[in-house]
Amino acid sequence: MTRFAIEIWGEMCPIPLIKAKKKLLSMQCGDILVLETEHSCTSRGIVVWAQANRYIIEEKEVANGIWHLELTKTHD
Amino acid sequence: MENSAFHSQRKWNIGFILFLTLLLALLSQISIRLTLILTLGISIGFVLQKSRFCLVSALRDPILIGMTQLTRAFLLLLGISILGFALVSWGAVQRNIPLSLNVFPLGVHTIVGGLLFGIGMVLAGGCTTGILIRIGEGFAMQLVAFFGLVVGAVLGERSVINWRNAFGEWPGIFLPDIFGWVPTLILEIAILSALWQLAKWWQKKQLGE
Repeated sequence: MTRFAIEIWGEMCPIPLIKAKKKLLSMQCGDILVLETEHSCTSRGIVVWAQANRYIIEEKEVANGIWHLELTKTHD
Repeated sequence: MENSAFHSQRKWNIGFILFLTLLLALLSQISIRLTLILTLGISIGFVLQKSRFCLVSALRDPILIGMTQLTRAFLLLLGISILGFALVSWGAVQRNIPLSLNVFPLGVHTIVGGLLFGIGMVLAGGCTTGILIRIGEGFAMQLVAFFGLVVGAVLGERSVINWRNAFGEWPGIFLPDIFGWVPTLILEIAILSALWQLAKWWQKKQLGE
């Protein structure tokens, strides 16, 4: 159960998702990836993508227009 | 939601609604038509922003990450538009109201323009409406994209006649004239349903479900 984070601040879709996918490959099952974005569509896109891939995802709007995402890698 | 990082937006909302109402009231004194157009524009913008509808994502994600949720939403949008468009143009024919729609036959220049626009919109992270929404949300980078969009639109508008003369156009086909309205609608909805199934199958295949 390690926590990883990648820097996606200011990046536009689809770059955050591509970076997250890359990072997930190097992670173990059960590890958590923390993402923070100020781009509404990016947040939404990652949540929908994670749900479709059956990963556990938690989305929280921590301030006006800033989203904090925690993605748990549940399978390879 | 008691986080101190949240600033209440309520006073802004009230102020903005007040401003818009007064602006519309003022405009209605000058021209009812302009008021209706502005109201429609504001409503469309509001719905687009809230729905997070993204044409770029709909066309790009199937290839890039294998997701077709938005693609299917886009197909649904096309289906609804086809029905609405059919109603409007059928009604216009019945009442002899001339419709002037900016619809032109396909040509080589359409494909070239589509490719250019497609590359540009993926790089800019938004189609025309997407860029406008994101400028409204406060993304400075989309302002640069908007500048490019305006330049490109003006250049295209000025040069489209030369393109048409240089490459020619395929003859325009209006399906309802050939098949009649009902068969055309059935055909179009059937094609969209087939595309819907294809999109669903594609996502299943890509995500390995």
